[in-house]
Amino acid sequence: MRGISLLHQNITVLLACLGIALGVPPAASVADFERDIRPIFETHCYSCHGLDNQLSEFRLDRKSDALRGGGSGAAAIVPHKSAESLLIRYVTGIDDKTVMPPQGLPRLSEQQIGLLRTWIDAGAEWPGDEAASSGHDEKPDGRNHWAFLPRTQPEPPRIEDSALRERVRNPIDNFVFSRLEKRGWRPNPRAKPHELLRRVYLDLSGLPPTISEQDAFYQNPSREALDAVVDDLLARPDYGERWARHWLDLARFGETNGYERDATKPFVWRYRDYVIRAFNDDKPFDRFVLEQLAGDELPDRSAETLVALGYTRLGPWDDEPADPATDRYDQLDDLVSTTSQVFLGLTLGCARCHNHKFEPLTARDYYRFVAVFNPLERAQNGRRELDLPIGTPAQLAQLARRDAKIEPLQQVVAEIRSQFQVEHLQTGDSKLSREVRDAFLKDRTDQTDRQKELVKEYQRELDEELAMALPAEKRERIATLEGIVCEMRDEVHDLPRGYFLHEPKGEPATTHLLIRGKASAPGPEVTPGIPAVLDASEDALARTASWEGQSTATSVRRLALARWIASADNPLTARVIVNRVWQFHFGQGIVRTPSDFGVMGDPPTHPELLDWLATWFVENGWSLKKLHRLIMTSSTYAMSKEWNNEYGKEDSESRLLWRMPYERLEVEAIRDSMLAVSGRLNREMYGPSMYPFVPEAALEGHSDPGKIWQPFDEQSASRRTIYAFVKRSMIVPMIEVLDFCDTTRTAAQRVNTSVAPQALTLFNGDFVNRQARHLARRLREEAGDEVTRQITLAYRLTLAREASADELDKLTRFHASEMKRLPAGGEQLSREEAAEKALQQVCRVILNLNEFVYAD
Amino acid sequence: MQSTETFGINRRRMLQRMGAGFPSLALIDVLSRDGFFAQTASAATENPGAGGLLRAKPPHFAAKAKHVVFLFMNGAPSQVDTFDYKPALTKYNGTPYKGDAAVGSNNRPIGHLMQSPFGFQQHGESGLWISDLFPHTAKFADDLCVIKSCYTDTAAHASGCLQMNTGSVTIGKPSLGSWLSYGLGTENESLPSFVVMTDPRGGPISGASNWTTGFMPAAFQGTLFRSKGAPLLNLKTPEAVTEQTQREALDVLGKLNRQHLEEHPRESELAARIESYELAYRMQTSAAETVNVDNESAATRAQYGLDDALTADFGRKCLITRRLLERGVRFVQLYSGGGHIEDTWDGHTDCINNHKLHAGETDRPIAALISDLKRTGLWDETLLVWGGEFGRTPTSEGVDKPGRDHDWHGFTMWLSGAGVKGGQSIGSTDELGFKAVEDPCHVSDLHATILHLMGLDHKKLTYFHQGLDQRLTGVRGEVVKKALA
Repeated sequence: MRGISLLHQNITVLLACLGIALGVPPAASVADFERDIRPIFETHCYSCHGLDNQLSEFRLDRKSDALRGGGSGAAAIVPHKSAESLLIRYVTGIDDKTVMPPQGLPRLSEQQIGLLRTWIDAGAEWPGDEAASSGHDEKPDGRNHWAFLPRTQPEPPRIEDSALRERVRNPIDNFVFSRLEKRGWRPNPRAKPHELLRRVYLDLSGLPPTISEQDAFYQNPSREALDAVVDDLLARPDYGERWARHWLDLARFGETNGYERDATKPFVWRYRDYVIRAFNDDKPFDRFVLEQLAGDELPDRSAETLVALGYTRLGPWDDEPADPATDRYDQLDDLVSTTSQVFLGLTLGCARCHNHKFEPLTARDYYRFVAVFNPLERAQNGRRELDLPIGTPAQLAQLARRDAKIEPLQQVVAEIRSQFQVEHLQTGDSKLSREVRDAFLKDRTDQTDRQKELVKEYQRELDEELAMALPAEKRERIATLEGIVCEMRDEVHDLPRGYFLHEPKGEPATTHLLIRGKASAPGPEVTPGIPAVLDASEDALARTASWEGQSTATSVRRLALARWIASADNPLTARVIVNRVWQFHFGQGIVRTPSDFGVMGDPPTHPELLDWLATWFVENGWSLKKLHRLIMTSSTYAMSKEWNNEYGKEDSESRLLWRMPYERLEVEAIRDSMLAVSGRLNREMYGPSMYPFVPEAALEGHSDPGKIWQPFDEQSASRRTIYAFVKRSMIVPMIEVLDFCDTTRTAAQRVNTSVAPQALTLFNGDFVNRQARHLARRLREEAGDEVTRQITLAYRLTLAREASADELDKLTRFHASEMKRLPAGGEQLSREEAAEKALQQVCRVILNLNEFVYAD
Repeated sequence: MQSTETFGINRRRMLQRMGAGFPSLALIDVLSRDGFFAQTASAATENPGAGGLLRAKPPHFAAKAKHVVFLFMNGAPSQVDTFDYKPALTKYNGTPYKGDAAVGSNNRPIGHLMQSPFGFQQHGESGLWISDLFPHTAKFADDLCVIKSCYTDTAAHASGCLQMNTGSVTIGKPSLGSWLSYGLGTENESLPSFVVMTDPRGGPISGASNWTTGFMPAAFQGTLFRSKGAPLLNLKTPEAVTEQTQREALDVLGKLNRQHLEEHPRESELAARIESYELAYRMQTSAAETVNVDNESAATRAQYGLDDALTADFGRKCLITRRLLERGVRFVQLYSGGGHIEDTWDGHTDCINNHKLHAGETDRPIAALISDLKRTGLWDETLLVWGGEFGRTPTSEGVDKPGRDHDWHGFTMWLSGAGVKGGQSIGSTDELGFKAVEDPCHVSDLHATILHLMGLDHKKLTYFHQGLDQRLTGVRGEVVKKALA
């Protein structure tokens, strides 16, 4: 604490010096509030910051408010410290635009400013104002907001009606059915077997059930049989590939930095693989939080947890920022906004420039969160990003020791070489021209543009000369040294590389609240902390900072935050993740603003259910798979999607869950399903991403169309969509047009639009027409040449049901008329070829059916 | 109305979120289903092209303009060589700059003050100063409102383009065209409401981030039209498919989908998706027809410069622009310059020849567009915006070199057309043209002015996202009143 207060004094002195340097008039000797100060306030301030108006949430007519300050979160008047008082900084002008009274109104005179300074330095005596006592009166409202309070412990309510009670399979049904029952409503009946089967398959794996999987279930479509299907799907790797994508949306996953060069983030696919594995291994969610926020600070840290820490580095990055200082805070904002929304459902990012307009979140809360992440740094060499080795602490230490030994040896080699280069250029028989030799002999920093070019041009030639001319004794010396280096590398191998932010320095920099969010206007210093509305104690994070067995050179601020977030008592964390899982199953969450649990967020439709589920989840080891199973084996989940006019009139969105809501599949499930159905899905998991085919025209808008996209061959590109390269400046058009998420910030929910370019993509685009061709081939192979059998099989594959007689009729007739047309196309086709081409058109229609992208 | 209280979102909360602006789209949906907006109750089926999102909406107040054409001079044109006449530069030519503006970008070499190699004349009754780079545009001097005091927050192309297009130097914010589509919808659902045409040499830096819809639904995104060939991705029926097959396949698809819809009569999304296929089919014809300028008269084609290799590309884009405006497209953005450095207006090494080239490519087509819009009457409802992401230094880049570096402290943009008071210049830079000094106009002021002319209050055009009412202009922006007719 002593260090901090000393620092504080230094800043005060600094500010005072600045004040003088900027020509602030010296303070007068005495100032009386009523005589000197109030008239200034009344004339110049109260019209905007008084009883009637409180612009920027600041009022200057009451001492308590004046001391506290306005929306910036910093104190306007600090008694005895005029230089620290925001009021003085504003009236003297923070910069051209940031000045009070604002531009266009008369400024305060030097004398008036002098009076204010004198008055504040003398203690800001404000007679007759009762609330004069506390300077730190930061009482946010909304402390009683439900989401900030501990979870309630609700009992599953009793269902009165015995027939309805029969349908209850677990407490979820008690909560949902009881609400309906109280209203005199009944939940929709159980969906049909084929609907249920397709629902659970698409939901958990993002792929439709195969024919044999359908057959097995349809023989005995009991509730228990469906439970078994759920268990089976949860155990498949497909589950991770489906559900990891939801998390990647939240984590703003992208594989490039965006902006001008849009450079590829090295090894960032490891983070994607980490998430897939985490879901498949059912990594407890609390651990998942710890690894991503503090993977470098855990006692049992490893290559895996460092890859998880890649979470910190997923956002866009401008390698040529307009203003580096502001850019630094933009990067920190990315972390604060993403973390607060994703894990806590708090829109803390809104408090960057001023206290949150609607939520009990202050700018101070925001910058305390900034302080948590402030020690993090990006490994980079100018515009180029660097990756880092990953491993256990022991492995990393061993590697560091090796490199520390190798470095001086390499230096010696470099010295030998450079010395010889100088000798060779000065006295040797170099064939290079005088001008070129001079260029090489100049120090890099002294080279002219022309010389730099020459060096670039002739480097190779010189290197060849040097290699030839190097004397034997030097050559041997180098060989010996390099031999030692090789041995060292053999003894201690290089480690794999990862991509994450790190804390290379022991001592973290101080963090300041920024006035109006401006990097150029630092306010008071802040310490790491959590929003006061959740824990008002100053040292909330200190309690979670130390952990047995934990030892690291880092600040452990993130570890402290992560442990606070991932604690069973945190009122938000479990509720927020349980709600997200619910949302991905039902299309909408119990709270329909999944990343905003604040006062302005949507209140839960079933608050008791949410709390019960959150507590159940924590008690069951934060296991997502158990949560899926609980939800998916409820009768609520198995309800049909049938519309009901009576209920729909009052509750069109089915907020009370009288039916299962209707939602279009995400683009990943659409594309993967098409590949699965056509028989072309490449099941290779993990590793670097693939580049699907994109139409050449899609690259036209790009500044460097030739280079940015080298499509893979069809088989390699037919992997699941989660493995498609996410290039921020060039999202694969088919993926983008079908409402892919915004990759620049956390995305809690896909939007769902129905626009013509989607139809053009799915009807005319290369991908779907290709899959239609493969599907037609498959149908011929598996169902023979009879058209009705082919169409029947197509319906089973795509929609998991039999085609109706009418559907068969329509498509068969379309096939027949297509057959008639085909020979007229000019080409000579055999009957089989013509039939398959006609069948391809039928398949194209089927892959575009609404039912294919909207599961019942 | 009891239902809204029962099911969570109560009216107070909704109105709080809506502010005085447009309600968020999700809320429109909720409200309309509640009968809150009687007329939108069946929005999805009435105007299903974009699920009703692009339905034409009334402006906040009477609009002066219905369309915007943004002539984006990518790479940053030099103000002192175009519209900001600085005789003092001739006086100080070849001497070092002694002022206090931070000169140049990225540690490039700073040379001496460099006079414009181009002559400047006064034009029209207004006597507006225009350089000899624009002999054709100069004929419309009395229609131009030249803002000489523009400034921006960044000296880099990527963030500069983003700021000019989205109001923000960081990626992912919705672009001006998206805000207009969101605020006003479109008058023609057979075409996108927001069309972008890039330079054949490449797109602007950051590509689609410049016409992104950001956090708003994809329907508001700018659609890239190619000026040659099929204008949209996947617009053409696949090669092996005859037109007859295409139509019949769509018919079968429609029948099967409608049958499915009968079992789910209340799912408006299903209906919207059915209609999107029909719209796509119409678009196959309408979009292709729009970009086909073959039937324009020889005189018109010549006027736009289609018969001259230098002007043919930009001329074609300007002509297509007129055709898009005729069909009700809301916002058209044309890029002059693309790819890198000298292929754009980014005249670092030789600003003189660079500007001769790019002005030469665009001057005649722009003048033709103005005159053609006047002829067709579209002039009275169309706003033209000309300019780049920033300006260029009055100093050369390197001593005795003909290049100019980036200048973001002061540069020139012009507005023209509906609602704009032409024949005037607003604001000024200092004596040498470095820095805006009189009536400084930030990019957000320009945005506020464009929205204002389109009948939208930039403070009320909001979209609720991540806890905030987001705006194009953020917390800045003032309408440039002097520009208004």
